[in-house]
Amino acid sequence: MSETTKEPLVEVKDLRVEFDVRAGIVKAVDGLNLTIQRGKTLGVIGESGCGKSMTARAILNMIPRPGKITNGKIVYHRRVKSNGHSQLDDVVEITELDPDGKTIREIRGGEIGMIFQEPMSSLTPVYTAGIHINEAVSLHRLTPVRKVGDQIAEQVMAHRNITQEEAREIAIKMLGRVGIPKPDQRVDSYPHQLSGGQRQRVMIAIALSCEPAMLIADEPTTALDVSIEAQILDIMRELQESVNMAIMFITHNLGVIASMADEIVVMYMGKAVEQAKVVELFKDAKHPYTQALLRSIPKLGKKNKGERLASISGMTPDPFNLPTGCVFHPRCPMFMPGKCDTIVPSWTKVGEDHYAACLLYEEV
Amino acid sequence: MTVAEQTQPVTTPASKQKQVSQSYWSLVWWKFKRNRTAVVGGILLIAFYISFVAIPEFISPYALARSSKYVEAPPTKIRFVDAAGQFHARPFVYGLEQELDFATRARTYVEDTTRVYPLYFFVRGDPYELLGLIPTNLHLYGVDQQSDPDAIVLLMGSDALGRDWFTRIMYGGRLSLTIGLIGQVLTILFGTVLGVMSGFYGGAVDQVIQRTTEFLNAFPQIPLFMALAAAIPTFWSPLAVFFILSIILSFVGWGGLARQVRGLILSLREREYVLAAKSAGASDTRLMFRHLLPGTMSHVVVIATLAIPGMILAETALSWLGLGLRPPLTSWGVLLFDAATVRAIHTTPWELWTVPFILVTILAYNMLGDGLRDALDPYGAR
Repeated sequence: MSETTKEPLVEVKDLRVEFDVRAGIVKAVDGLNLTIQRGKTLGVIGESGCGKSMTARAILNMIPRPGKITNGKIVYHRRVKSNGHSQLDDVVEITELDPDGKTIREIRGGEIGMIFQEPMSSLTPVYTAGIHINEAVSLHRLTPVRKVGDQIAEQVMAHRNITQEEAREIAIKMLGRVGIPKPDQRVDSYPHQLSGGQRQRVMIAIALSCEPAMLIADEPTTALDVSIEAQILDIMRELQESVNMAIMFITHNLGVIASMADEIVVMYMGKAVEQAKVVELFKDAKHPYTQALLRSIPKLGKKNKGERLASISGMTPDPFNLPTGCVFHPRCPMFMPGKCDTIVPSWTKVGEDHYAACLLYEEV
Repeated sequence: MTVAEQTQPVTTPASKQKQVSQSYWSLVWWKFKRNRTAVVGGILLIAFYISFVAIPEFISPYALARSSKYVEAPPTKIRFVDAAGQFHARPFVYGLEQELDFATRARTYVEDTTRVYPLYFFVRGDPYELLGLIPTNLHLYGVDQQSDPDAIVLLMGSDALGRDWFTRIMYGGRLSLTIGLIGQVLTILFGTVLGVMSGFYGGAVDQVIQRTTEFLNAFPQIPLFMALAAAIPTFWSPLAVFFILSIILSFVGWGGLARQVRGLILSLREREYVLAAKSAGASDTRLMFRHLLPGTMSHVVVIATLAIPGMILAETALSWLGLGLRPPLTSWGVLLFDAATVRAIHTTPWELWTVPFILVTILAYNMLGDGLRDALDPYGAR
């Protein structure tokens, strides 16, 4: 996985997601472009309601009513590991698929897994951890741990239902992999018997049981305490390396994203405002919004006695009544009157692999 | 691919520290057990279902069709002390003599103290097949008929054909209790499936199902029952009538359940676990019936338990009106129909013995249902 092997897995092109509600139309995602590379981690940050989660849902074609994808497309470079030997490359436009159809259901969970913010309520209360994992496995009829070179066995496995004992073994193995102690007992535990961290591990085990090509982690550690958070992140990193999985990591926690991502996209009001490699972004943020975000995290060792932590002035705009021009201009410290409130900034290259949507870097 | 070995912790043998997994239902059971009233109701119902539905042939002293010459006889007095004032450890009954008062045309019975019939447990009597399998002629109690065919014991009197009323109540219970159960099973089936679909899909599906239930609920029930019951062809076998009647009962009952289930689904479908299951590739059918439906089961069980008495009463009411089951079938409603004349209340008041059986059954169901509701209520103090 050197720097040169760039291979797009999911490309989001000019995506627009709109909610037609009584008070008007809310543009949850407004012309977003991003690319997730195979085996890499893309961090998506932004404040609440900026369209991070909707982007994630759109990738699985799971926009809740009354939301709709009104424009753009999501291209998924599918690599079907059919029969073990022939690698079938296929380009699927997720936005074109029937949201309840067979293809998208194969992709969901089987090829793109997802874990959620709330581990407390993400497991069906009436089923044990083992049943959850087995459900995911049986839905996609895969055996989670496939051995290279064991292709005949794999072929057999892919086309038959596994027995109860085998399924249980798989579940125990998966629970062990995500670091749950005593997996042979925990496999029979109901969600209410597990702690928040354990539940999130079970969620990860479910998502990973089908060895997806990509994992969407929608604020996976927000509801957990800091020590558990670190463990979960460790597990995700470890597993990513072992199965060469791409991760789309959604968070509003800049500290977490710094340790996880290869590349970061910053979102504001449904739009991407800046994209850069992780080090570059933290060292040399270009967009005033990103700069403001970075200023608002406390820094260790820095003497700031009596000084208040910086916050971004103003409020997030009314989603029904977005500002003209650059949506950030009413809160922007570098506001250029006559320019920022009239011209919509375009996606400009500001460095190597570094883009920003700001008129400061645009020749107008 | 060595993560498995790295992160898998050393596991202690399961036998050493076996943890008992407390499932939701075991917690419910634990709470239910502590509710005396509900347990009593449950035990009563179990006893009723065993004695009325499974083995009424054994409990009752005679066969259902057995008629005697003792027409409209009052309940036989069971005695321990004979005419001479002597005490007997074994209870006995006297023989009955029929007398006809020609002036009033009333039939009266007097005891013939010379004929003494001791009561026995496990006597030989009319042959039957226990549980439809084992041929036998053993009855729980009775008098020795084999040595004297005139011997009879009528705990609750007899009807106009000289049939033992207690026997008829036992057999009547079989139909009345099962019709409620079968009707309720059908109701649960229709109600939950339609309710889940209604709540999950919303939109047009929801509209159609909800308007249908409203339509059914808006109908006056008795005329609807009458119309449906009148549509049953008279030449149908009693069994077919029985089943079609339970379908009619559930046809009217499913609407309420479907609404309640729909309401629950509307709140459950917004839960994260539904989204999680969907993102794992679950189909709509799987989401509805594997992930959403179990969450409504506790409510459905309570609603169903509390609705069974309604079913039993509906059958009783219909049969009492002459619209439901008809002789030769015997149900509690049919028995009430027999007892529902002024003449019957005057001359054979013992035929009203059916009423306490119905009352106790309904009461037991309500006790059980209340207990279940308390035990299953997640918001109650646990």
